[in-house]
Amino acid sequence: MGRLTLCSLLFVSGLVAAQSDEADPAKGERLFLDIGCYSCHGYNGTGRVPLSTETSGLLGSETAFLAYMRLRGEKAQLYPSREMPHYGTEVISDEEVLDLYAYLVSLDDDPPALEDIPVLQDLIDDAKADKRDDTTNPE
Amino acid sequence: MADQSDDKSSISRRAFLGTTAGAATLLGSGSTAAQQAPPVPEAAPAPAPDQLERDLYSAPPTATASAVNTPGSDHIVQLLRDLGIEYVVSNPASSTEGIWESIINYGDSPDTMPQFITALHEEAAVDMAHGYAKAEGKPIVALLHGTIGLMHASMAIYQAYHAQTPVVILAGRDDTNFVRAQSANDIAGIVRSYTKWDAHPDTLEGVLDAIHEAYRQAVTPPMGPTVVVIDAELQKLDASDTAVPAYQPRRIRGVSPDQAKDIARSLLRAENPRLIVGRLRTPNGVETAVALADVIGAATDSRAWIDPMSFPQDHELSGPGASADYDFILGLERGGRDASIIGPHRKTVEGRDVTGIGYGFVREPPTPIWGPYAPPKPGANDIVADAEVSIPLIIAEVWNQMTPSVQRRIDNRRRANAAANKAARIAGLERALEQRRRGWNGTPISTARLFAELYALIKDEDWCLPSPTQFTGQHNRAFWQHTKHYSALGQAGAGGMGYIMGASVGAALAAKNRDRIVINIQPDGDLNYVPASLWTAAHYQLPMLVIMHNNRAYHQELMYGQHLAASRRRGIDRAHMGLTFRDPFIDYAKLGQAYGVESEGPIDDPEMLFAALERGVETVKSGRPYLIDVITQPR
Repeated sequence: MGRLTLCSLLFVSGLVAAQSDEADPAKGERLFLDIGCYSCHGYNGTGRVPLSTETSGLLGSETAFLAYMRLRGEKAQLYPSREMPHYGTEVISDEEVLDLYAYLVSLDDDPPALEDIPVLQDLIDDAKADKRDDTTNPE
Repeated sequence: MADQSDDKSSISRRAFLGTTAGAATLLGSGSTAAQQAPPVPEAAPAPAPDQLERDLYSAPPTATASAVNTPGSDHIVQLLRDLGIEYVVSNPASSTEGIWESIINYGDSPDTMPQFITALHEEAAVDMAHGYAKAEGKPIVALLHGTIGLMHASMAIYQAYHAQTPVVILAGRDDTNFVRAQSANDIAGIVRSYTKWDAHPDTLEGVLDAIHEAYRQAVTPPMGPTVVVIDAELQKLDASDTAVPAYQPRRIRGVSPDQAKDIARSLLRAENPRLIVGRLRTPNGVETAVALADVIGAATDSRAWIDPMSFPQDHELSGPGASADYDFILGLERGGRDASIIGPHRKTVEGRDVTGIGYGFVREPPTPIWGPYAPPKPGANDIVADAEVSIPLIIAEVWNQMTPSVQRRIDNRRRANAAANKAARIAGLERALEQRRRGWNGTPISTARLFAELYALIKDEDWCLPSPTQFTGQHNRAFWQHTKHYSALGQAGAGGMGYIMGASVGAALAAKNRDRIVINIQPDGDLNYVPASLWTAAHYQLPMLVIMHNNRAYHQELMYGQHLAASRRRGIDRAHMGLTFRDPFIDYAKLGQAYGVESEGPIDDPEMLFAALERGVETVKSGRPYLIDVITQPR
C-alpha cells in the first residue's frame, strides 16, 4: 500500500462510478465476514490491522476506497503485495465495494478512555511509580 | 529372537493369498453352492499364543521379572535420583516396565526424585520435558517405548533439537516383545538426525555410563535432546554386584583469558556500551548477566518476553538507554550482529565494536532432513563459547582494569540509562495502550483486553507463561514485565503444532513445588493435536491456567488461503473450507471437564471475562488446573 499515493488513487477514482445512494451497510457487514476482511481487521474492525486507526485517507471517501480496491484487484501484478488479498471484480463488484465501505464507515469503535479502563491505567501508574532509577546506588 | 517360522499357528501371506484365490475361482465357476450362500471370507491370521495370552491379561510375567532383589532398573533409578531428575514423564510400555516398577517402588521414598508422570502420548511426554527444561534450565527424562514410541515422539524431539533444549530420552527395547515390529536393531536411528547424541549399550554398566553421558551431552552447549536405548532384560537382571557410578560434569568452554581482557577493555573504553542478552543456559547465567550490566552500567536489550533465561525486564538497565548511539555491543548468547540499533550508530563498526559470545549462531543444521536451511552466521568478531561461563571471567577483568575515573563515568551512565529506560517504558506503554484499547468492548473478545485483564490478576504472583504468543497478539511484549528466568518460555523450536499444551504441563510440573503458577494462553488449533495432556494436569493437580484463544480456525492458514484464492481470482467465499472449526464448534469447556479439569465457557461477552479470569487464577493458586474457553478476535 505504501507504493500507492493518495494522488494516484484520486486520479483513478475519477474513472469509476460510485452509486453511494444504494450502498447497504448490512450487505457490507456480510461481505466483511464472507470475503475474510475480519481475519486481519477483526470482527469489528479492531483486529491486528485496525480500521479504526486508519489515517491514510483510503477510508476518507467512497471513491478513494473504491479506487484502492480496484487498484489492488485489477492491477495486482503492478503492485504485488502480501499485505492484503487482491480483491478483483470476481471477488467483489463495484457495488459491493460500496456496500462494504458503507459498513466500514458505520463501525463505531468508541472504546473507553484510558483512565476509564482501570487495568490499563494501573499499568501506566505502576510504571510511573517505579522508583528504581531514583534509588540507583553506584557500587 | 525367535524365528517366525516356528510359529505354527500363523498363516503365511502366500498361503493366505492362495486360499483366497481358490475361493475366487470357486465363485467364478458359477457353482450353485457359491450362488446360494454368501462367500465366507478367509479368517485373518490367528494371533500367536503369546500375543493372545498377553491380550487376555493371562500372560504371567517372565521368570526374571520378579526373581531378583536388586534389578538393574533400581540402579538406573538411583542414578537418576543422584542426578536430581525430578520427573520421568512416560507413556507406559512393556519395554520400559522395569524402570517404571523401580520408580514407583524402589527406595525409602519411592516415586520421588524422580516421580513417574503419565503422559497420554509420547509427543506430549517430550513436550513436557521440553517445557520443564526451559523453565528450570535442567533436564528431566522422557521414558519412551522403542520404535513406535519414538515415532510418536519424533516431532517433539525435533522441536527440542531446534530449540536447543536439554531433554534426556530413555527408550526401551524388547526383543522378546510379542509384536516383533516394535523392536529394531537400531532403535535410535529414526531420531538420530535431530538428536545430539545416542547410545545403545549392551551391559548395565554401559547403560549407567551412557545415561551420564546423555545428561552431559544434553546440558553442554549447544544443548539438545539425547537418547539412550535400554534393553528390557538389562532392566530386570540381577545387578547386586554393580555399583552406581558418580556423575562427572563436563567442563564447559568460555572465552579465553586474552579474549576476556579484550572484551573488558572494550567495555571500559566505550562511552556507551550495549549488552544484548539472549537465552542463557541456566538461571545462574541470568544472575551473571545482571552482574555484568551493573558493573558497566550498560543499557541492556532483553529477550525475556520471548525466551527463558534472559535479562529481567524490570531491571533499571533493561531498555534502550539514554542514547542509541552505542560504541561497543556485546552479545551474550546472541551474535553481535543481532543488535537492533535504532537511530544513528556511526560509532559502531562491525568486526571491531560488535562481539557476540555463544553457541547458538554456529549450530549445524540437522541432516539429512534440511535442504536449503542455513544456520545463522556468526559475525566477524563473534566467539564460539558459552556466555554463562564467560561472564565471570569478563567481570573479573573489568575490575582488574577499572580506574576511579572510569568508575565515575560508569556511575553517571548507569543513572542516565536508568532514567531513560523508565521514560521509554512509560512512553511505550502509553503508545501501546492507546492502540490496544481499541475494540475494548468488542465481541468476540479483544486479545489485548484478555492479556491486560489477566496481567492485572497475576502481576503480583510468581507466574510463568509457557505459551508462545505470536498467534495471540504478543500483547505480553507491550504490557507485561518479564522478570524471572521462566517468565516466558518462547517458541516451539520448529513451528510444529501441538507443542503448547505439553510444554505448559511440563512448566506446571516445574511450578508445582515452587509456589509458582503457569498461564497457558492456548491457541485452539494447537490444543487439538494432543488435548489429553489436560488429563495429566488434572491427575497430578498442576497449577496451570488454560485460557483458550478460540478463534475457531487455523487462522494463519486461513489468512494465507484467502490471500491465495483472491490472487487467483477465484473468490474467497469458500476459503473457510478445511481451515475453520465450524459445524460444529468445539466445546473446550466440555473437553476440559472430560479430562477432569475445572472449566468454563465459552465466554464471548467481554464484561464476563475478568470474573472468569479471577476464578481461574484463584483456582490455580490453590494448586488445581483450570480452563476458560474464550471466544476471541482472530488475532
